[in-house]
Amino acid sequence: MREQYAWRSWTLTTVLALVGFSIILQIVHIQNSPEAATFRAQSAQFAQTVQTFYPERGEIYDRNGHLLAGNKTVYEIGVDLRNVKDKHAVALAVGVELGLNPDDLYNLMANPPGNLTYLILANYVDEDKALSLEQIKITADQQTSSGGQSSLSGLEFTPHPERTYPEGALASNVIGFVSHEGRGYFGVEEKYNDLLAGSPVQVKVPVDPNQAADIPQVPNGTTLILTLNRDLQAATEQILDNSITKYGAQGGTIVIMDPRNGEILTMASTPRMDLNQFWNYSSIYQNASEYNLAVSTPYEPGSVLKILTMAAALDNSTVTPNTTFLDTGSILIGGATIKNWNDEAWGLQDMEGCIQNSLNVCMAWISSQMGAQNFYGYMNRFGLGHLTGIDLADEAAGRLKAPGDSDWSPSDLGTNAFGQGVAATPIQIMMAASAIANNSRMVTPHVLYAMVRDGRQFNVPAQYAGSPISVNTAQTLDQILATSIENEASLASVPGYRIAGKTGTAQIPVPGGYDPTLTNASFIGWGPIDDPRFMIYVWLESPSASIWGSETAAPVFAQVAQKTILMLNIPPDDIRQQIAQH
Amino acid sequence: MIRTIDIIHYAYKQAPWRVQRRWISAFLLIVLALSMIAALYLDVTARAALTGREIQNLSADIITIQQSNADLETQIATLTSNSAMETRALALNYQPLQTNQVQFIIVPDYIASPPPILTSAPSLQPSTPTIQPEYTQSLLDWFDQRLRTSLSISMMGASQ
Repeated sequence: MREQYAWRSWTLTTVLALVGFSIILQIVHIQNSPEAATFRAQSAQFAQTVQTFYPERGEIYDRNGHLLAGNKTVYEIGVDLRNVKDKHAVALAVGVELGLNPDDLYNLMANPPGNLTYLILANYVDEDKALSLEQIKITADQQTSSGGQSSLSGLEFTPHPERTYPEGALASNVIGFVSHEGRGYFGVEEKYNDLLAGSPVQVKVPVDPNQAADIPQVPNGTTLILTLNRDLQAATEQILDNSITKYGAQGGTIVIMDPRNGEILTMASTPRMDLNQFWNYSSIYQNASEYNLAVSTPYEPGSVLKILTMAAALDNSTVTPNTTFLDTGSILIGGATIKNWNDEAWGLQDMEGCIQNSLNVCMAWISSQMGAQNFYGYMNRFGLGHLTGIDLADEAAGRLKAPGDSDWSPSDLGTNAFGQGVAATPIQIMMAASAIANNSRMVTPHVLYAMVRDGRQFNVPAQYAGSPISVNTAQTLDQILATSIENEASLASVPGYRIAGKTGTAQIPVPGGYDPTLTNASFIGWGPIDDPRFMIYVWLESPSASIWGSETAAPVFAQVAQKTILMLNIPPDDIRQQIAQH
Repeated sequence: MIRTIDIIHYAYKQAPWRVQRRWISAFLLIVLALSMIAALYLDVTARAALTGREIQNLSADIITIQQSNADLETQIATLTSNSAMETRALALNYQPLQTNQVQFIIVPDYIASPPPILTSAPSLQPSTPTIQPEYTQSLLDWFDQRLRTSLSISMMGASQ
């Protein structure tokens, strides 16, 4: 009986085996079919996502560790139209919370440009506003029955960093700003953009949790520490703004540099802008050279340049401090008659008198005695007409005409000697003057104090740009300049401190000649002269209260010098001498 | 003789139900072994998946914390900005110092403090965290690795 039915079992077994075999065959067939390759490619495509990791932009600090430029989180608020249930609700919530027009938002969602499925409703939204809106969405989601879509479904929040400047407009002309695209403009932000920004890294991140990989180590941008002293910068800007108001100037700049190493302690310039609202740039500045007058705007500096003429003549042995000159009130150089600032004759003068009384005639005589080759050779070595190499964007080289240039004339030898017919930036003149203040060693001005990378601080050493004059010349001229300040009872003098300095009043060139009424008032000074800790340059554009630098720029210098002395904690000369004796 | 052999054969022949039971037992044993392997595989895979998801979440947390840290730094800087500090100082009736109000006192052997260093002392950077293979390998991966290792060892032995 059992054997009678055995064939049934065998038949069933065979059928099942055939079915199993055909399933296996089909599996193998599918695995090796042409479609399988397509599916495998799709699988590989969705198995990982390519993510770009942007390093956090490096921060910028002042020399005492105050944050000048940092990063904060802002939000992009967008909507995924495929998941939106109620466009009206989304438009209303976003509009009310962010202060936008709900009708505009609704129209945008109802008529997406180019059939986009994701729309950005607002970007660079402050964290508190974004989180408030996100909380409303969470509440709406919670009130919706499980599995359903809430009225605010589709709303998405994407955090990302944004550059922020806690000090607002402070030192804006030095720092520069970063656009929403992440590119630095002007100042340090532009000059060191590559260092600050770092390098973004693209990584394939597997979606499969089993394949979870390590986070790529994306090094942040390099943090920069500037030579600026924040508090001194603020005080300088305040003095500059008050001075512009007081003297009716159209603008101005004040720079403080350590003449021993070229560190820029402050660089104040007008106008300034709140860096957190960089989009106002075009309404504040007409062109890029206005952003930082100290490095980007060459001008005819006038008599402050006489210190370089005198330095060259002393070094060249054309004159000594005791050389005398009979000032008759005018001198003919290259066919042009040069007169003094008050059109008067000053009689017999030694070199100290020529500097103290700022005599154009004397200076023109000195340069003519030196000869063009010697005079322009020295001016070249002082760096006039060349970039200083300061680490700020958009530095201008100015212009020093020289024999051989098509527009140079022999009369330029006379006018250049007292700072007319030559264009230089304040930072160029400071660099040149540092040779006098710093025992003949000319320093390269710079704003970078140190870089911080991978937890290590790398200090930037001082750089020297040669010695255009001898130590003896520098010390001799130092004394002449200090004595002239004392004898003149200058408004630039600072009680208790021996200061060297020189005023400058220069007519402003206009097409066809010089403006008869407007001047640029300048002053350059440094001190204490036995151990110079600061060099200050003041430039006031077209002051209306007085055209003379001695009545406008000089007292501004004194104010800034006193503030600098306080903030740098520099004892008076007598105290320092007592300290030296101990 | 033949009968004797038949008797012996019959005596030692197992009952059919015994044979069936042996086959069934063997089959069940195989099924049990496969089930255990499958369960083990599922357990390891599930753990690896959970750990992987946890790693992904922690990665996201690191980015969030870094952003939060930058935000806090900025907030501190804003609260201690020059203008904010000046406002607070004036509110507390502080006055700007004038040069004639400063009194210098000479302290013999006083050594001025060195310039500030804004970073901590150079420290060893933590090495990149690596995820152990135990957290990423499946059971098959593990078998595969062991197999390859054994093969390579045996091949090295043969070449010697």
